[in-house]
Order: sequence, then C-alpha cells, then structure tokens
Amino acid sequence: MALIRAGLQRLASVFNAGPAGVLSRYITNLSPIENKSVSESTKDVIAECNSLIEKNASRNFAIVHLLGKQWRVTDGDLLVLEGFWPPNIGDKIKLDKVLLAGTKDFSLIGRPVVQPGLVDVTATVISKGLSHTRTHFKKKRRKQYMRINFQRAQQTILRINSVEIASKINEAPNNVQ
Amino acid sequence: MSAKNMFLKPGFVRAPLQNGVGRYVCQLQRIVFKFCKSSGGSRGMRDYIEQDLVDFAKVNPGVVVYLKPRRHRSPVVVAEYLNGDRLWMSCHNKTHEEITKWIEVCRTQQGNNEDIRLRKYQYTDYPSVQGPWTPFTFKDPELNNTVLPNTKFGVNNRLPISATEQLRLMFEKQKLYEGDEIKTAE
Repeated sequence: MALIRAGLQRLASVFNAGPAGVLSRYITNLSPIENKSVSESTKDVIAECNSLIEKNASRNFAIVHLLGKQWRVTDGDLLVLEGFWPPNIGDKIKLDKVLLAGTKDFSLIGRPVVQPGLVDVTATVISKGLSHTRTHFKKKRRKQYMRINFQRAQQTILRINSVEIASKINEAPNNVQ
Repeated sequence: MSAKNMFLKPGFVRAPLQNGVGRYVCQLQRIVFKFCKSSGGSRGMRDYIEQDLVDFAKVNPGVVVYLKPRRHRSPVVVAEYLNGDRLWMSCHNKTHEEITKWIEVCRTQQGNNEDIRLRKYQYTDYPSVQGPWTPFTFKDPELNNTVLPNTKFGVNNRLPISATEQLRLMFEKQKLYEGDEIKTAE
C-alpha cells in the first residue's frame, strides 16, 4: 500500500509540479468572477451599450469595406480611393458594408458585416481627379531592353460626414421577415 | 514609399475650408480657354467652344469662363481653384472628345494634384478612439498587484509539450507501473 501511495503521489506531483506541471497547461487564468447566469449578464451588457449610445457618450468609429479595401473611419475623415468609381462630386452616399463599429467603450463586430440599419455611415464625394504622374521604368542590363511608361490613376476623395450607431443592439434586423 | 517619385513634393490629403462637412462647394473657380481662330492645332478647342462651352457655363454657374483668342498660338486651358492652385494644360491637336474629358477632370478635382505625391491615402483628426494598443491592453488587471516572478502568471501554457517533458512523463508512468507489478507480486 505504501508503494501505491508513493506512486500516486509521484503521479500527482507530475501533474501539479509548479509551473512546468501538465495540469497548468489546461487550467486557464481567466475564470468568471461574477456568479450571474450568462444570459442575464448578456442582457445587462446590451442594455448598457444601448444606454451608452443614447447618451452619445463618445465618438464612434467604423471599419468600412470600400473598393476592396478596409478603411477605419470616424466623423470628418478624408479618404482617397484609387481607380474607377462612378459617384460624382457633391454626391452624398451611404457606406453599407460596415465590418465593425465601435465607440470608446464597446465594439460591434460583424460576421462578416454588421446587420443593415444598425450602423449608418454617410459620406460626400469631394473631388474626382487624377493622381500625380507615376513613372514605370524597366531596364534589363546588357539586353538592349528599356521601357518607360507614365500613368495617372483616378482618385476620388471622400469626406465622412457621420458614423452613427442606432440604439437598438440585439433587435431583429430589418431584412429578415 | 519608393524612390521612384521622390523628386515630387510630398504631401498629405487635405480639403480646403472643411469642404463637404456642411455642404459641398465646387473647387474650380475660373477657367480660361486660349485658342487660335485659324490654326489647325486649335480645331478641337474651337469645336468644343462652339458646341459645349455654353452648356458648361450654364450647368456650372459658380465657374467663371474666359475665352482668349490669340493668333497663331497653340490652344491652352488654364484652371484656377479655390485653394489657389493653377492648372496649365496644353490642348494642342486635342480632339473635341479629349478636351471634353479633360475639362471634366478640371471641373471635378479640387486642385492641381500633379506636383504633389500623397504620402497617406487617409486623413483623420482622431487616430484612435479606444486608445492605442499596448502590450497590457486586454490583460488581467490582477497583474498590477502581483509580485513577479509568479507561478500563476509565469505558467508555460502557450507551447506544446516538449520532447524532454514527454520523456519525463513516460518515465514517471513506467515507474508507477513497475510499482504496480511489485504490488501484485506481494
């Protein structure tokens, strides 16, 4: 019996042997502090977020998908979009592909896009022009090969007018019937 | 940034007078068409002036349009903007369609972009809303009070089990089973 006990103790020591023990790998440091049920705490969080939005507590920002790129925008930002894009100067547009929206205290993360109607990002097209002249110079040594091309890309400048979050987090989206 | 365009003046995105925050104002203020009434190089320019210029002026009441005929000189368009930029463009031998397109570019852009290389394609007054990331963001606040080194926070739980550790485990197990055998022998 003594031998068994000694063996068990040895095994236990393997599992609990300080920082290098095996169990330490599986026990995480983070454990729930509150004893509230999960659903209750979620409701609290949502209510808190909604009240924060209503109070207009801080500046909003959003990550918007535009022309294959992701832009982090807040009120008053300027964006330069390159390439052909139909909207013309003075046009007011709404940017609908919102991947993420946030304030100082919380973030709404879309999967992949935040539900329509929840976040409202509006922008004005300020300028549509051409970039500076970019030089494409190619040369291969000792091969009698040299090319020089010049090109100017189309550039559209956008002013972000507003990033607004509707205070209806956790409500059913409009596009679902 | 590549060194290709380093000889251009670098600059950042700006919009004059907070354009677009409240309302949008067309940035083209004045456009001057210089042309010759007889030479062939001004042919396209003359066509444009005859057919489209009046419509252009009607549609854009905020733009002052000047015509400047001059003998035996090539045609030129000069556009002046609200931010003080001046864009000079030769229209020699350009066709009617080409000139229409270039005038549209002059009208829609907000200044002379030719001699400025943009260093950033976005401008913001508020680079961070939630605060910049540091190594301590999203970390357990308990870290602030502990004395390090600490077994709880020093736990090696990110790496897979090393070969040495695996061997040690196997060895310990073996020893245990040996003990069992001895026990059964008893």
